[in-house]
Amino acid sequence: MPDPITLIFRTAAGTETRVPATPGQSVMEAAVMNGVAGIEGECGGCLSCATCHVFAPEGLGTPGPDEDAMLDCTEVERGPRSRLSCQIAVTAAMDGAVFDIPAAE
Amino acid sequence: MDGAPGMAGHVVIVGASHAGVQAAQSLRQGGWSGPITLLSAEDRLPYQRPDLSKAFLTEDRPDAPPLKGLPFYEANDIALKLNCRVTAIDRALRRVHTDSGETLGYDRLILATGATPRRLSAAAENIHVLRDLTDARALRKALRPGQRLAVIGGGFIGLEVAAAARKAGAGVILFEAAPRCLARALPAVATGVLLARHRAEGVDLRLACGPVAAVLDGTRARALRLADGREIRCDAVVAGIGCTAETGLAQAAGLTLAAGGIAVDAALVTSDPAIQAIGDCAAFTPPGAGAPLRLESIQNAADQGRHAAAVLLGAATPFAAVPWFWSHQYDLRLQMAGFPCPDAPALLRGTPGEAGFSVLHLDARHRLVSAVSLNAAADHMAARRLIAAGVPLDPARAADPGQPLLHAQADAA
Repeated sequence: MPDPITLIFRTAAGTETRVPATPGQSVMEAAVMNGVAGIEGECGGCLSCATCHVFAPEGLGTPGPDEDAMLDCTEVERGPRSRLSCQIAVTAAMDGAVFDIPAAE
Repeated sequence: MDGAPGMAGHVVIVGASHAGVQAAQSLRQGGWSGPITLLSAEDRLPYQRPDLSKAFLTEDRPDAPPLKGLPFYEANDIALKLNCRVTAIDRALRRVHTDSGETLGYDRLILATGATPRRLSAAAENIHVLRDLTDARALRKALRPGQRLAVIGGGFIGLEVAAAARKAGAGVILFEAAPRCLARALPAVATGVLLARHRAEGVDLRLACGPVAAVLDGTRARALRLADGREIRCDAVVAGIGCTAETGLAQAAGLTLAAGGIAVDAALVTSDPAIQAIGDCAAFTPPGAGAPLRLESIQNAADQGRHAAAVLLGAATPFAAVPWFWSHQYDLRLQMAGFPCPDAPALLRGTPGEAGFSVLHLDARHRLVSAVSLNAAADHMAARRLIAAGVPLDPARAADPGQPLLHAQADAA
């Protein structure tokens, strides 16, 4: 198993939750396994629910076509940094990255 | 609820799958300060089930991903007890008895006992059902090249297993008693595209086949016998013939049942004010519906888990979540929103086919009631929002795939 890193999830109110994540997991899995409120991941990461919407740090790639289509209809309006966190694979380089949780989800 | 324990009483949750775990999480994160005990009859951390009928069957991963890691339960002070089956509810003394002889007192009880797959009348080592990880592991061994799998029932489980079996290289014959698969869930045009793909992938579909019975040879089924007496050889059988809600505990405790489930009101409270029921086992009456119903879906389990917690935390709004559901077969992504009404007049958005389309049902005031999308994820997401909003649509715009469905609202009169 690769060494775990730390991801930070930040609410709209500014509260930060630090969770361990393992390269190979998705960012959604790391959040859900640790019960980060506001990231549900109800479909388990198969691009069916959009309940794992985050505002991601820059440089983590761009949404694929299905992800892009689903982001057009998220509960909280998408922004330039919108991603579905189930589609972002955790990498060692992400240690300390901050993901913002949309307010109303 | 009477005699409300504030936010400090002991909540016992019976059943630790999607609904039960969500209720525990939402209670704690919503500020419940009392003890929360989550009881699971299984011997492993609660895990995700949707994939068990899909990719899990074609991969060699030993385990399904857990819903939460162990540190989550510890950090949130949720007492998760595995291998713990509740045998009786003593409503008068507000306590439950477990199979280990333990007695647990509760202030509030949440029943999230789920459902059990229906089985064929015959039992044999190669006749499978699919509900939990143990079932999925056993079934997976039967999906090998050269093996012939007989699938009984053309519902979501049966069709997903058929797709997985073909991917694994096994032969598949699928028997559906009715003339049409998924007749209560999908419009005929969507079923048509789905079944055409199954046939193209080599699934031998036998519709309107009537009841079939397993022909046993010792401890194994060697064939299925059709209503006309013909026998069709197979190496394994999977029965995807629906589920019955786990209502035994509730019934023995004298709780009111309805629609095959545990009757609950809009606060998901049963006929005992100290007991709620959520998920597959709960029969509720959605707003505007005339009769109680049960929903077997992840969305319903999670939304009811959240709602039951919100009620205990003092929220007063009735349960009114828009249901949604998905199924993946091959690379077809089927997504449904709203309560299905497959035979109501429909609006077709796009051309039926694998390139993506949706079937929309509008009511007399042009409000979206339900939507079935195939390879059209954006339509599905928009549909969920439009159904919840209950706003009238412009039917011509809604039917035009060149315009986003989300913006198909009728211009204000």
